[in-house]
Amino acid sequence: MNIFSALKSGFSRTLRSRRGVLIVWLSMFILVLVFIYPLRSSLSSAFGRSMITEKLADGFDIEVFADLGSTLKSLFSFFTAGFMFVWFIGFVMNAFLTAGLFGSVRKESGRFSSREFFRAGLKNFWSFLIITVIITLITDFLSILIVGIPVAMVSLSETISEKSAFTAGIVAIIVFLLLIPVSHLVADYARAWKAANENGSGFRAIGFGFSRTFSKFWSSYIMMVLLIVAQILLGILILLVLPAWKPLTGGGVFLLLIISQLMLYARLLLKTWRYASVTSLMEDIQPAETGNL
Amino acid sequence: MKRTLFCLVYLVFLIPLLHSQIINKMPLSERITGYRMDVRLDTDAKTVTGNMEAFWVNRSADTVPDIRMHLYMNAFRSNKTTFHKRWGHKETGDSPGEKDLDRGWIGIRSIEDNNGTDLIPAMEYISPDDGNTDDRTVVRVLLPEPAKPGDTVFVRIDFETKLPSRIIRTGYCGDFYFVAQWFPKFGVYEPAGMRYSTTGGWNCHQFHSTSEFYSDHSVYDVTITLPAEYITGSGGKLISENVAGELKTQVFRAEDIVDFAWTAWPGYAVYNDTWNHVNITLLIPKDRIRQVERQFIAVKRALEYLTENVGPYPWPHLTFVDPPAKGSGAGGMEYTTLFTSASSYFMPSWFHMPEMVTVHEFGHAYFMGILASNEFEEPWLDEGVNSYWEERIMDHYYGSNSGLLNNRLLKIPDITYSRLAYVMSPSRQAVSNKEHSWNYPHGTYSMMSYLKTATWLHTLTGIVGEETMNNIFREYYRKWAFKHPSGKDFVNVVNEVVKREHGDDFGPDMNWFFDQTLYGTGICDYRVSGIQNLKHRRSFSNAGSDDTAENESSESDSLYTSIAQLERTGDLMFPVDVLIRFTDGGEILEKWDGKERFKDYVYTGKREIEWVKIDPEFRIRMDVNYINNSMTTERKRAPLHRLANKMLSFVQFCLSFML
Repeated sequence: MNIFSALKSGFSRTLRSRRGVLIVWLSMFILVLVFIYPLRSSLSSAFGRSMITEKLADGFDIEVFADLGSTLKSLFSFFTAGFMFVWFIGFVMNAFLTAGLFGSVRKESGRFSSREFFRAGLKNFWSFLIITVIITLITDFLSILIVGIPVAMVSLSETISEKSAFTAGIVAIIVFLLLIPVSHLVADYARAWKAANENGSGFRAIGFGFSRTFSKFWSSYIMMVLLIVAQILLGILILLVLPAWKPLTGGGVFLLLIISQLMLYARLLLKTWRYASVTSLMEDIQPAETGNL
Repeated sequence: MKRTLFCLVYLVFLIPLLHSQIINKMPLSERITGYRMDVRLDTDAKTVTGNMEAFWVNRSADTVPDIRMHLYMNAFRSNKTTFHKRWGHKETGDSPGEKDLDRGWIGIRSIEDNNGTDLIPAMEYISPDDGNTDDRTVVRVLLPEPAKPGDTVFVRIDFETKLPSRIIRTGYCGDFYFVAQWFPKFGVYEPAGMRYSTTGGWNCHQFHSTSEFYSDHSVYDVTITLPAEYITGSGGKLISENVAGELKTQVFRAEDIVDFAWTAWPGYAVYNDTWNHVNITLLIPKDRIRQVERQFIAVKRALEYLTENVGPYPWPHLTFVDPPAKGSGAGGMEYTTLFTSASSYFMPSWFHMPEMVTVHEFGHAYFMGILASNEFEEPWLDEGVNSYWEERIMDHYYGSNSGLLNNRLLKIPDITYSRLAYVMSPSRQAVSNKEHSWNYPHGTYSMMSYLKTATWLHTLTGIVGEETMNNIFREYYRKWAFKHPSGKDFVNVVNEVVKREHGDDFGPDMNWFFDQTLYGTGICDYRVSGIQNLKHRRSFSNAGSDDTAENESSESDSLYTSIAQLERTGDLMFPVDVLIRFTDGGEILEKWDGKERFKDYVYTGKREIEWVKIDPEFRIRMDVNYINNSMTTERKRAPLHRLANKMLSFVQFCLSFML
């Protein structure tokens, strides 16, 4: 199967699993809402009936929040702790939901079934968690090795010029970014394999991920780069539209909520397209190859 | 023979040379002190060695038995100096370094008067500020004969300065040198009546980590010999350069400045530009070419704004340095006609930090350079006043909402920074602004001397108006340029100009303002404590009403007594505007003297109060809480809900990056 066939197949499988994506979106929305809603109430209470919020009409105004004094410190602590907590819970939930998604984008899966989605999630949860943790740790380690250490070394050097240090930093970041699709491929192949082989362990799946990534490297890599570029473009669109949009009425704020959530749903669809395309590529090889590593 | 030779040098050469005019047509200052130095930079030993001939003129009516000089570089001798004890923020003191090459010091090899008398035996280190016997940053030299009024004391000193390896304003790093606070320098003799002096005496403080300058305006003739490949910059004008083999000798001349510093590094690129009569030189690392234009723009804007609103920049030359990363400890310093900025190879154009540093450090040419206040004793008059002007300049040229940061996602005006730092500091009431620099409790010096001062100067601007403020500084410049103004001199100028322009609008003088802000520790906080709209059951006549709109409603059915309830919860009292808006769209602007603890504005009429704002234009920057300055009967939820929605999306967006 060539790259475009895999992408095409992945796209149709993604559309087939759109309800699964909806479940992922809704789960994350509720998780974050549980954290943001009290924060909104605290902010609302802190500002009371003050008209200082008028200064927020043109966007974030640091002076408005600074005057909250000790309340700001409490809110900041709440936001930081809440964000960490949501990140941790989100990480665990992501393993479960991704397992469901990988199950639903397989060729064998017919029409989307919520029951099958949750069953796959439950069945493969621990393996997916292990895969995610290990690949995330490997990626973090690579970031320190490729970016952190060289940049720290050139920054501390008294002999290297600033331009050279800056260039070295940029090169290190580019190298690291070029490795990101590889880590994604390893993780996605591993999870696709695990979804197809429910009795296999997470570690075996990672082994398959590495082997599959490097055995079909260029086709896999190019496809992953295309998918990541699509995600980045949408990400840029989100970052361009949402911060700049500053509605001042209740209706406008509600519309902002709807549009932003639609964009985030689209972002999840693109991510699922990635999962489905990798799964398509994986399924294009012999069952013996996929089943027995 | 030797004595005769010195007398000859002194009479025939030094005094005429130091009083001659090379840069400006006329002397700008009294020139009580002057220096002629011939030094050599040893790049192996990291030393500056040479000799200095200097004079001090006793312009007082006192007979003065001694002279006092700063030996700043001795601050880097050990961790027991006053500088390092304070800088380290710990009892044992911060260390200037473990190796001998790390430490800094200045040694006086010989000192003689104009008769050739050896003054070494008459020399003693003193610690007038804290009695620290390990601190050798001030030396007292007993004169063989006391200096009578009008006498000139001449000294010839051979000295060696070892530069420290950790650059805290001064020192070296690799082949980069920033040579500041490096030579024996006279203190200021203050006769009775000058500033706060009740009796005559030397004002010569130890080197503290928090302040640097109090000096007489001087003439400097400095000859520097160093390896030929080094590119130099200084506060002086380059008079001549002579290359001989691997060494070059440069002669600099500076007139009427309070300090002379210089830098040397082979990696500098030199750029030149002009603004009116001023030749501007920028020394910057070669690969920072992209910062050159923005640095020149910033300094020219500062020149323009301060010339227009304070007074002319009198020198025809100005040099500024953007030190390399390894010499960043030298960045953000001021030596009048030489100052240092701070940038880097990559600096986004929306982040105005390099411009801010450039504008600030240039501003010191006025506030401390021309108006040579005592930074040791009144740092607010130097750093605070200068911060105020820096903020005005930045917000004027770079956007009133974006003087400091002009990003699509976040804009921050420069004026905001000082207020936030003051408002958010838990120590904002720990001490008043009227403190010697070394007496500020740890962590409060910058906040108090820079930021609180700038905040109350903006508040003063809000009260008297920007044009009056400009006139205050123009008068301050006119009266005190090239002198030593004190805080009370500044206050006197404020009183004089405000009285002239506003009569008794703000009282007989403005001392009430300075008693609260400069000398006080109180905070300012006004709040709207409530809005009441009481509906009357039936109409009644408008007797006793103070609402003019009510006249039209005598026949109507619904009448209200509306009350705007205000409160002064802080100690400080300033006149404030109170803007009240009614449900029919009408507005009333009340002028409140801000003195009462509680104040009600009562209106009877057909309309209700919709909202109340104290200080609607945010003129009272000292107010520590703008949130409670306003109240509305109907909450405006949209901005906060919008923010919450964006936070929701942001967190979801972050989570979507998981594998």
